[in-house]
Amino acid sequence: METQELKNAWNASEKNLENLWTLNMRCIEMVQTQKAKSKLNGLAAFKSVAIILGILYVLFLGILVYGNHFKNLYFTFSIGIIMVINIVAIAVYIKHLVLISQINFGESIINAQKKLAELQASTINITRIIWLQLPFWCTWFWSSNWINNNTANFLLTAFPIALFFAVVAVWLFKNISLQNSHKKWFRILFSTTEWTSVIKAIEFINEIDEFKKD
Amino acid sequence: MQTDKESFSKLMQENKGIVFKVCNSYCSNKNDIEDLAQEIIYQLWKSYSSYNSEYKFTTWMYKIALNTAISFYRKVKKTRNTISFEEHLIEIEDDNNSSETNQNINLLQQFINELKELDKALMILYLEEKSYKEIAEIIGITETNVATKIGRIKEKLKQKFSTYNL
Repeated sequence: METQELKNAWNASEKNLENLWTLNMRCIEMVQTQKAKSKLNGLAAFKSVAIILGILYVLFLGILVYGNHFKNLYFTFSIGIIMVINIVAIAVYIKHLVLISQINFGESIINAQKKLAELQASTINITRIIWLQLPFWCTWFWSSNWINNNTANFLLTAFPIALFFAVVAVWLFKNISLQNSHKKWFRILFSTTEWTSVIKAIEFINEIDEFKKD
Repeated sequence: MQTDKESFSKLMQENKGIVFKVCNSYCSNKNDIEDLAQEIIYQLWKSYSSYNSEYKFTTWMYKIALNTAISFYRKVKKTRNTISFEEHLIEIEDDNNSSETNQNINLLQQFINELKELDKALMILYLEEKSYKEIAEIIGITETNVATKIGRIKEKLKQKFSTYNL
């Protein structure tokens, strides 16, 4: 089939679209009377829910710290750090929400789609930050009394466990990135269904980059 | 505001083919086509106030329609992994067309449906006889890249057509 025949076939199909104009008119009336809503704001909705849950979680942690009256410094410090990490994550989510609202579909397809896919994939970056709280979940129950009176027990159990999780958290913080998305450990870590859309977004970013090459 | 509504409706009337050709290329069943058409019109209306009349309306319209369609397609694809071609809304029943032409239209629609999201956008613009310069502006790649990619897709389409016509 030659180029002109392809174009003729394409143009011939237009005649069959005429009868769908009634539907088009109904859509125009609906959007102009604000009776229609966008179905493409799932990403913003997801981030909004994450922000609300994050704020509630930070408030809960705040109540715990306040309830402890700063009696145990290890508890206060650990929960305080966990709070700070979660506040940073919430701030990043809020920044994403602003960026989502600024996406302009009037931009070129490559630019708009890449921004959108990057925002979708950016949930991975929040995960990096969230992992940093891991070692502090192993230190909040420490006490001066335990360390001073049962030093051997502390040094052989609690301290190595916290140290191990600190190393894991820092390693994950450094290595969880879009550049490592092709690696096996990354695929295993994000293999569950809730990560499917994020993984698909990463694949789409790679597809866009490939498409841009001559 | 009333003037905006009227001018928008008029521009949509003049360019109605764009919305449905894009919808028909990215969706394969009636409900999805209707949903996508509504989404595209919603996005066009939402962005209409920011449209700069110094630029060609159809270029702007293609950007919005294709960006919306690609986003919609990626969302729908997650929930429906397999879509049969038989579900296709646009049934070719025009008595004026020969059965060979109808077969070609159906094959062309099927092949376009099988292309990747970005290649599909490129092919729609090519078949709509947009210049390489305009396609490059809408897609956001260089004119040389447009020419190379269109050449490759056309070659694939020709091969598929010849396979079917054997």
